[in-house]
Amino acid sequence: MQHQIKNKPDYASLHLQLDEGDQVVTESGAMMAMDRGLEMETNAKGGVMGALKRAAGGESLFLNTYTSTGPGQRLDLGPNTPGDIEHRELLGDALMVQSGSYMASTPGVEVDTKWGGAKTFFGGEGLFMLKCSGKGHLWFSSYGAIHTVDVSETYVVDTSHIVAFEDTLTFHVKKVGGLKSLFFSGEGLVCEFSGSGKLYLQTRSASALAGFLHPFRPVKQKSG
Amino acid sequence: MQITIEHRPSYALAVVALDANETVVAEAGSMVSMDTHVQIETSVGKKGEGKLKGLMKGLKRMVSGESFFQNRYTATGAAGEVTFAPTLQGDIDVHELTQDTFFLQSSAFVCSDDRIEIDAKWGGAKTFFGGEGLIMLKATGSGPIAFNSFGAIRELDIDGTYTVDTGHIVAFEETLEFSVSKFGGGWKSFLLGGEGLVCRFNGRGKLWIQTRNSSEFGQLIGGKLPPREH
Repeated sequence: MQHQIKNKPDYASLHLQLDEGDQVVTESGAMMAMDRGLEMETNAKGGVMGALKRAAGGESLFLNTYTSTGPGQRLDLGPNTPGDIEHRELLGDALMVQSGSYMASTPGVEVDTKWGGAKTFFGGEGLFMLKCSGKGHLWFSSYGAIHTVDVSETYVVDTSHIVAFEDTLTFHVKKVGGLKSLFFSGEGLVCEFSGSGKLYLQTRSASALAGFLHPFRPVKQKSG
Repeated sequence: MQITIEHRPSYALAVVALDANETVVAEAGSMVSMDTHVQIETSVGKKGEGKLKGLMKGLKRMVSGESFFQNRYTATGAAGEVTFAPTLQGDIDVHELTQDTFFLQSSAFVCSDDRIEIDAKWGGAKTFFGGEGLIMLKATGSGPIAFNSFGAIRELDIDGTYTVDTGHIVAFEETLEFSVSKFGGGWKSFLLGGEGLVCRFNGRGKLWIQTRNSSEFGQLIGGKLPPREH
């Protein structure tokens, strides 16, 4: 399988070429265009019922598996936000990826939604963390630019700006600066990392954009 | 304090390097990341300022579209880093003040040295009807101040007069005089023509404008969203 990221950094897209028998797993909305010799199957992580249950709580992940039935079959993938794409080759190590940033991986990469820290990470953001481990290629995307930080001791990040981090980092989620600060500052939850490892941040936040747009929504007319 | 802008021009990020015990003031909610020993303090005014004065300033800032509360980030004990990002896509630029004054459109403020005083300045009663809130922040003092644009930033050297749509103003030097008026052919084109209020500049100085208009964007997307309760 060949892979290339084009149109970096503002509107990056991922272009794959699969030979017969090659497989790739993608986030279900990522496909832009493809050749006819690719077969697609949808899987829900943890079974369909489990995924539907999680969907109700904003924690769903439907994955499509594409299998090539011929040589040089093209698959073009685009993320759902304007921004960049990053490629990592896992060699038995593990990366935590924010669910909205996961894009695609090869079958040797295990994508685990049931990891213990997955649930409470993002407060009300409807996001969760995926643990990606094993051997193979992994691609993830950002809203805005990807800003990488090599953490050597400790570092604090607003949770809405987290894209991914190496599992050599330990973390805990907390409120910042006491109650007054939490209430008025706009900073909700932050994640405090410690240890040493790489951290990938995005320079824009989808929930901040939603907050900007909210006052522009029409106001519901009272009936009667 | 050193402010470096990374990831220009579309999704810029302000990276602030603080010396030990230095403080940077930023718009509430714009912090992306920081060192653990940087302390956040939410306040309505400068330290040592009376509560009431601080509160009035906070209120004025709220009316001007800027968040009521600004946060102060202090690197306690050792040098440290804080990064800030604006909400919308676009660029960030830094201007160095040396005992002078600089005007910013209220939503363009990212962060500034705490030796810089930020105050709201009315653009005149007329501007209230424009929906674009041409209320400027007045920054006075010494040190760096970072400001953001929606879209690209164009830096212009004005000598004489120049007219800018109020929604496209980012910042300008105080050597420029400005007045706000409605654009062109009377009330009919004001209401129907899409061109709302313009700012007429006069004098000599630098002017920064942005290539997109955030309230036009908000209306475009917001109008397609389901109604909100209140």
